[in-house]
Amino acid sequence: MGKNVLLVDDSSTMRKIVGRSLRQAGLDFDNIFEAADGIEALEVLENEHVDIVLSDINMPNMDGISFLREKQSRDNVKDIPVFMISTETGDDIIGEAKSLGALGAIKKPFTPDKVNEVLGPLM
Amino acid sequence: MDVGKAIIEGTREVFSTMLMVELEAGDPIEGKGGDVESNITSMLGLGKDIRGMLAVHCPGSVAKAITGTFLGMEVEEIDEDVKDAIGEIANMVAGNLKISFAENGKDIELAIPSSIIGTSFRTGGMFGAKRVAVPFTMNNETFLVELKYMDSE
Repeated sequence: MGKNVLLVDDSSTMRKIVGRSLRQAGLDFDNIFEAADGIEALEVLENEHVDIVLSDINMPNMDGISFLREKQSRDNVKDIPVFMISTETGDDIIGEAKSLGALGAIKKPFTPDKVNEVLGPLM
Repeated sequence: MDVGKAIIEGTREVFSTMLMVELEAGDPIEGKGGDVESNITSMLGLGKDIRGMLAVHCPGSVAKAITGTFLGMEVEEIDEDVKDAIGEIANMVAGNLKISFAENGKDIELAIPSSIIGTSFRTGGMFGAKRVAVPFTMNNETFLVELKYMDSE
């Protein structure tokens, strides 16, 4: 049985590309949900079964760090694994993301191989 | 730090990784000049140690080609998809520049990109800002990546 993935990015282009990269990487998943910011992402997590979240950091309304912080405060969703996919690669912001439960980060731009390398073990 | 070189390397990496396109870069232009006829401009603000903005100026045909390659589909008009795609290009180029500046001890905060469609507009910058622009060729047409910035030092 495949996994359900949630893609969180304010760029619809990037959500499509990440989704395509997941398919090109040959990873086993059933559904790809999408959200344009942290607020929408939390709504999806509350209403759908999600196994893995891939989230941008710089987003309007609720950014990736605030999303992680809010997710951590909700017992029913806090254990869902999150990877960041972002142009932000600084140790400080990635360190903050990890301190809030993110498992790691993929730097934009990225290749399908990189997505496979990072997410493959979880799928 | 060679800002022109950083723009070239950062932009070429975005295109080769995400679009499988090897861009030809022209010589970096410092100060005025090198403007291209642009139908869409995507820009984002920079803050902290380096303040200013990064902009990607594209003729419509180039913007549609980039978006079509990004999305794997034919793009016929400059619509929200094109604005979003060029904005994401600007975002990733700025991300690579952020890394280059960080290697030189400068921390940059990136804003969220925004895109403007049209021909009757100009982008301004802070008075006294430095300007480095690099023309790139894709499908025999030119687009411009432009950095206007002030160093905190």
